[in-house]
Amino acid sequence: MMFMAKETPQGDEPGRIEPLGTFGRYAGPATLILASLADGSKHGYALTKDIEAFAGVRLAPGTLYEALSRLEGQGLIEAMESHDRRRPYRLTAMGAATLRAHLDAQRRVADLGLRRLASSWGPA
Amino acid sequence: MSEMPEAAARRAARLLRWYPRDWRARYGDEFAELLIADIGERPKSRRRHADVAISGIVARLIPTGLTGHAIDPADQVRASLASLGCLLGVFLSFGMAMWSQLAIGWQWSEPDTTATFAAMVLMSGTMLLFSALAVLAAVPIAWRVATRVARRQSHGLVLPSLLFFAGAAFLVIGSRHFGNGWPGTGGHPWAHQGLVPGGVAAFAWASTLSVSSYWAHPGALSSFPAAELAWMAVSPVAMIFLVTGAARTIRRADLSPGTLRYEAFLAHVTAFGMLAFLSGACAWVVNGGFGPRNLFHAGTIDMAGLIVMAVALIVSYRAIQRARHGSLGLLER
Repeated sequence: MMFMAKETPQGDEPGRIEPLGTFGRYAGPATLILASLADGSKHGYALTKDIEAFAGVRLAPGTLYEALSRLEGQGLIEAMESHDRRRPYRLTAMGAATLRAHLDAQRRVADLGLRRLASSWGPA
Repeated sequence: MSEMPEAAARRAARLLRWYPRDWRARYGDEFAELLIADIGERPKSRRRHADVAISGIVARLIPTGLTGHAIDPADQVRASLASLGCLLGVFLSFGMAMWSQLAIGWQWSEPDTTATFAAMVLMSGTMLLFSALAVLAAVPIAWRVATRVARRQSHGLVLPSLLFFAGAAFLVIGSRHFGNGWPGTGGHPWAHQGLVPGGVAAFAWASTLSVSSYWAHPGALSSFPAAELAWMAVSPVAMIFLVTGAARTIRRADLSPGTLRYEAFLAHVTAFGMLAFLSGACAWVVNGGFGPRNLFHAGTIDMAGLIVMAVALIVSYRAIQRARHGSLGLLER
């Protein structure tokens, strides 16, 4: 199950965590981007290379920027000042909370799946 | 990266054209940098081109409220309702053409299949529902526009309102004129024996004359009176004026959150109506029989109409979902 923080209409406090519904096919890329930004800011090309290195997935440019614009719109990442044409992005507090909730949920599913596999099919 | 190969920069610039101006102003430079790097690493990539094209189209659809981008709840409802209005215009253009064909057929004789009979009853009932919904939806918007005009706050509303009224007036006058001129309905002594009054059937028929398979047969088309041909060509433009005017009025009327929630509720009911109408149309096209055996035969244009209506309904469902999402956001305020 995937989760995404939603900004409350009233203000800019970290929002409640609600099921991801609005990202559609960009949910996967959004998760990879958030995970990549967890250890510091990166611009588009650096994000592509980092994600390719840790996930083995090369995000196409259009997909990457569609996900970036949605994440920025939701307040999960923010653009930083740039002195050249490449603009770095960093995680916001809400983005960090969202990523943590999402990865926790994924870990629960992974742990459960591995336990069931071990009990039915034996240890790996 | 500072030494941009000219060819890669040109290709990146071409790819950027898929995106709208606002998007390019915000992301254009950095996105071009990424594209140039990507082109340098993978000079020939169809996947990249397709990916950029799809993402660019999605970016162009953001103002329609259909894409799921985070926007203000009130803007979301307004954009979704405006999109729904446009989709409903397309749906009804084809739907009314089908319905009027059946209504006119029934002026002369009763349908000879149960499917056509049931379809006609369902489609006619839905048409009544659409009429009631149109009135219910229009009243608060018209009231809001009138209030703003009275307070001299009509900035941004005058042009869309004029567009709407010009389109509506042209369609009504033209449809009345060409509907009265056709002997198959209102003016015929045998008329008024069907489910739908002859005048209404003639009006619907004339207003959708442009939805015709005659466009594929220029020889037959050339035998039409010039005035009728001109009407067939111009009436869709009037319909576009009407729908565009209505959509822009919805977006600019600054409706209250309560009104927006009310309109979003009506949009839900509209979806059920569209589904019922399409079911009726399907029943007729599938079971009503092909070939010119009787007045109720379904033709190629009706098959094409079904496809267009189905697509319009699917996209409308998305618009209604997004309107509901925005409506829930308004409730949290």
